[in-house]
Amino acid sequence: MLEQVRQRARELLERKQADGVLALKKGYWDVIQPHVFTAPAEIDKLVLEPKWLLAKMARAVLLERPQPWRLVVVMRGCDERAVVELVKRNQVDRERLLTLGYACDSAQAKACLCNRPYPQKLDAGSAVEGVDPLTDERVKSYLEGDARTRMEKWAEQLRRCIKCYGCRNSCPICVCVPCKLEDEVWVERGVVPAEMTTFHLIRAFHLSDTCVACGACQEACPVGIPLMTLQLSMREALKRDYNYEAGIDADRKSPVLSDFIKEPRPGQDMPDWVDSTEKKP
Amino acid sequence: MSADSNNVKILVFACRWCGLFGADAAGRQRIELPVSFRVIPVECAGYVEPDLVIRAFASGVTGVAVLGCHVGGCRFNDANHPALKRLELLKTLLDTTGIGGNRLLLGFGTTHEWHQYVETILGFYRELEGLPSMGAWVPVKQ
Repeated sequence: MLEQVRQRARELLERKQADGVLALKKGYWDVIQPHVFTAPAEIDKLVLEPKWLLAKMARAVLLERPQPWRLVVVMRGCDERAVVELVKRNQVDRERLLTLGYACDSAQAKACLCNRPYPQKLDAGSAVEGVDPLTDERVKSYLEGDARTRMEKWAEQLRRCIKCYGCRNSCPICVCVPCKLEDEVWVERGVVPAEMTTFHLIRAFHLSDTCVACGACQEACPVGIPLMTLQLSMREALKRDYNYEAGIDADRKSPVLSDFIKEPRPGQDMPDWVDSTEKKP
Repeated sequence: MSADSNNVKILVFACRWCGLFGADAAGRQRIELPVSFRVIPVECAGYVEPDLVIRAFASGVTGVAVLGCHVGGCRFNDANHPALKRLELLKTLLDTTGIGGNRLLLGFGTTHEWHQYVETILGFYRELEGLPSMGAWVPVKQ
């Protein structure tokens, strides 16, 4: 698979279909880091492991290069979904970004609890069956039980936060400037641990309909808070109510932006009077 | 109302075309309501972003109500549809973290439905009284 990817990347550079290839490079002292390859000869140093999401980096690279400059990004399934979401938000010019997708193996899919461990445009490797994250024991333990238990469980986890902003920085879709998490109005600055409600819930909700379940946030978290689990229930709700999954269809906008007439919930009429406590008279 | 209702604090975001006039009308009818809720007029229910609701919970409010026009009767071309969808999604997050989606109430009525407004608020009080405290989710301020 690695050879296939290298071959394809070399071809694209040689035929001048792209000006650069963004991928991981094994450099001096075997240090692996993201790198923009511009010479075909350099491609021998391209590697695929470990998992490193490049979508946000691709955006940054494209922003600083002049207009016709085209970039190939070597990406996994989650990376491709993130690019789709960035394109929807006008952050990346799809004309200038080519993808070179490869499938993850089943061990990686299991480690990430990924239900789609392959990109839609598959160039190398063969797709393996995904894992349903909601069947995982650890995830289940956070989503089940009564409110009291869950509250204590989440409070115990989030109290460990050292407010490094790693979850935000590693997220391939968090690109807003200015960020609400740095604004005194919303989150008190310079206080550790972070205010649980505002910091974590605002961050989680901003990604509610955008999260592609790549798991970069919880991998980046130095204290091991299961942040992706926080998103899973919202992803599930969107899937159940509107049959919407982030990062799959580039033409379909998030259903929470549209009205009930264009995008009704299946099995539900347009509510003329909605109230959560009282029955309709 | 029982003594417990003193501990309940409700923040009401009322759309100024329907919810707020409903509250006004209820006042004109001299309806007795508990005193521990505050109404914030907003231009439209669509203005109430979920972050505002989260911020309200963080400042020690027990429940948040968002009142807008009838779904389908919004003054701003269905702006309350996305509001409803967004806040329904926020309820999922509140449920996950154990705060409880029932601390957030969405109500849609019109100006002349003041009786509905009163019932909504009283019903919300009844519901919130039975809930446990938010515990660690509310920061302790000096």
